[in-house]
Amino acid sequence: MECTGSKQGAFYVLEVTGRMDALTSQGFETECQGRLEAGDKRIVADLSGLEYISSAGLRSILSAAKRLKAAGGDLAFCGLSGIVSEVFTVSGFAKLLPVYATREEALARS
Amino acid sequence: MSGSNGGNNGGSNGGTAIRAGRGIAFRLSALVLTAVGVIFVAMSVATYHLAREALLKNAEQNARTQAQALVQRIEARLAPISRVPLALGYELSDGLLDDAGILRRQRQMLLDNPEIFGTAAAFEPFGRHPGQEYFAPYTFRAPLGITHTQLGSAAYRYHAMDWYQIPRELKEIVWSEPYYDEGGGNTLMSTCSVPFYKGQGEERRVAGVVTADVSLDWLKRLVASVNVLDTGYAWLITRNGTYVTHPAQGVAFNESIFSRAEEHNDPELRRIGQDMIRGGSKLVESTSLHTGKPGFLVYAPLPSIGWSLGVFSPRDELLADVNRLALVSAGLGGGGFLIIALLTAAIARGITGPLRRLRGAAREVAGGHLDAALPEVTSRDEVHDLAMAFGNMQRSLKEHIRDLTAATATRERIQSELRIASEIQLGILPKTFPPLPGHTEFDLYASLTPAREVGGDFYDFFPCGHDGFCFLIGDVSGKGVPAAFYMAVSRTLLKAVAESVAGAGRRRGADPNGAAGAQRRSLPDPGRILARANNGLAEDNESCMFVTVFCAVLDYTTGEVHYASAGHNPPVLLRAGAAPEYLPTHGDPVAGAMPGVEFTTDSLVLNPGDALVLYTDGVTEAMNPALELYGEERLTARLAAFEAGDARTICEDLAKDVHAFADGAEQSDDITMLVLRYNGGAPDSADKT
Repeated sequence: MECTGSKQGAFYVLEVTGRMDALTSQGFETECQGRLEAGDKRIVADLSGLEYISSAGLRSILSAAKRLKAAGGDLAFCGLSGIVSEVFTVSGFAKLLPVYATREEALARS
Repeated sequence: MSGSNGGNNGGSNGGTAIRAGRGIAFRLSALVLTAVGVIFVAMSVATYHLAREALLKNAEQNARTQAQALVQRIEARLAPISRVPLALGYELSDGLLDDAGILRRQRQMLLDNPEIFGTAAAFEPFGRHPGQEYFAPYTFRAPLGITHTQLGSAAYRYHAMDWYQIPRELKEIVWSEPYYDEGGGNTLMSTCSVPFYKGQGEERRVAGVVTADVSLDWLKRLVASVNVLDTGYAWLITRNGTYVTHPAQGVAFNESIFSRAEEHNDPELRRIGQDMIRGGSKLVESTSLHTGKPGFLVYAPLPSIGWSLGVFSPRDELLADVNRLALVSAGLGGGGFLIIALLTAAIARGITGPLRRLRGAAREVAGGHLDAALPEVTSRDEVHDLAMAFGNMQRSLKEHIRDLTAATATRERIQSELRIASEIQLGILPKTFPPLPGHTEFDLYASLTPAREVGGDFYDFFPCGHDGFCFLIGDVSGKGVPAAFYMAVSRTLLKAVAESVAGAGRRRGADPNGAAGAQRRSLPDPGRILARANNGLAEDNESCMFVTVFCAVLDYTTGEVHYASAGHNPPVLLRAGAAPEYLPTHGDPVAGAMPGVEFTTDSLVLNPGDALVLYTDGVTEAMNPALELYGEERLTARLAAFEAGDARTICEDLAKDVHAFADGAEQSDDITMLVLRYNGGAPDSADKT
């Protein structure tokens, strides 16, 4: 799993690629924690390059989202496709967390 | 202990079997000694040959010198003797001596030269006194003193004799062949004949011959007494090749060098003889006919007398020095070799001694005796380094084994704890099938195959409310011990909440319309159960773990099922005679993630023969060695293919199929399934309650 990010307006966009499973998901949490400490509270995770996500990956996402929320920020998602989109739907994460079809939509929210 | 003993035996057995060859000390000694031996032999051979060559050259020179010296000694005596008659010849040529003067002169000659036995002055026929054919006064030593006589008569015509004829014709000094003069004391004699002349220039002609009978016993004694080494000898031959002296008995005067060569069929000797009588001088290698030994023959002429001297030196005696030298050097070399052998062996053993002790210690260590004492190596060499390195290895090995033992103990403790935890975890899952003895309205079977000792999957079923039966399946995020804890909490909470909701429903239902049958039969709402359980789990959930749950409540009298899903995989509905289908879900979130979530409750009615298959993602995400997933399509296809059977058969067939699909690939997630088959409401079951 690779995380690369850039500041876009009020948001920090994090592009996540590869596989997010028990071995790698801690990296996502660490990345978000790092952003939070750097002052970026509003993060958009672009998962269009993500091939697979396990329940451990979901746990990391949940953990990061809770931390950002507690700090007054939020964590949104965009670009879900294939099995990742399915996992988000089945697990109900699509209902728990803000999910947008495209990055533009995610950046356009208030 | 038994392992350590086994290792020890194995080590010592292995130790003796390791080396069939010789040790380093032996090899080192053998190598050094071979090299030294080869060098020594080469040096000895070279020394022997060089010394032999030098000594032979020297010996040759000596032989030549000795022969030459002998020739000179002989010549020193022979040359003056031949001058004596020559001097008388000159006087006779002058013609100043009268007959009495000749006799006087002859007497004086005998007195002056003890070797001369007799002397004659023989004149040509009618050369001294006209009318007198024979005139040859002869003075000689008689037993009673010197006397004289006249030679020549009709009976003794000396002009035809060899002693007169040969020098007269040759016009030079001639020594006769040797002879024994029996009248003159039986001594070895040779006559030296010298011609004298009359007239000058063209007129010069031979007037007569002066002779001197010379005793050559001294020559014979001299040559015979020459010592040539131990078995060498000297000999003389005349100008005809006749032996004058020879160490072998009966050879002198009886044989010539040519007869001897003929007798022994020795052409080499004949060639030597020919060269000798020609006056040649040479050193040749030959084998003595007298002693049979090989050696050097030096021959040289005696110019005065025309004879030839041979000196034979046996080779073995010439080489005796060389052989002695070789023997001494071999003795010295052999002694040196022995000393080097002893020294090498001692040094090699000195070097390998510590190594051997180290090897003993190494065997002990290899046998498991880690505290074996290492030998003290006092030298500061490689062996010392090796001993130090070995000591370090022994210490690290001890530390490592101590660490390993501790780590193994810890791991075994953890393994044991995990095993117990696994037993506890599996123990809390209900395993009574069929779940409600005496109720044949439905049939239920469940199985859980953990991927590790403990896992996060669970299932549960219990009676819930009036004629209600709650069954559920869950999957906690993550794996291992944390998941196991969370699973235990989730399952307990879900059961407590379900029973609590059931109780509340009963009370609520009892209050407004106590008589209404429909209300009395109301069942707990799975959505409510999940909502309350979610709130309980989400509270203080620092770890952000969550659980997916499918929870359903069956009214077994009617076949009606109410169900709700918290982010769980949609179960498969098997309708009798129809294709399997997934239950539609609403995408409600997982439980434990956020509090205050609502869960939608759906309902359906099972007809007799219909079944519900609940499973976790361990089934659909089971992987084979080619990294293919079992998948949802395969799941429905397999379920459609199974022959209609009871819950247990479906469950076991499915588990077998998943196992066969995995084909030995490592199971990465718990595989859990629960099958409920509805048989139809029993007519008497409602009356029972």
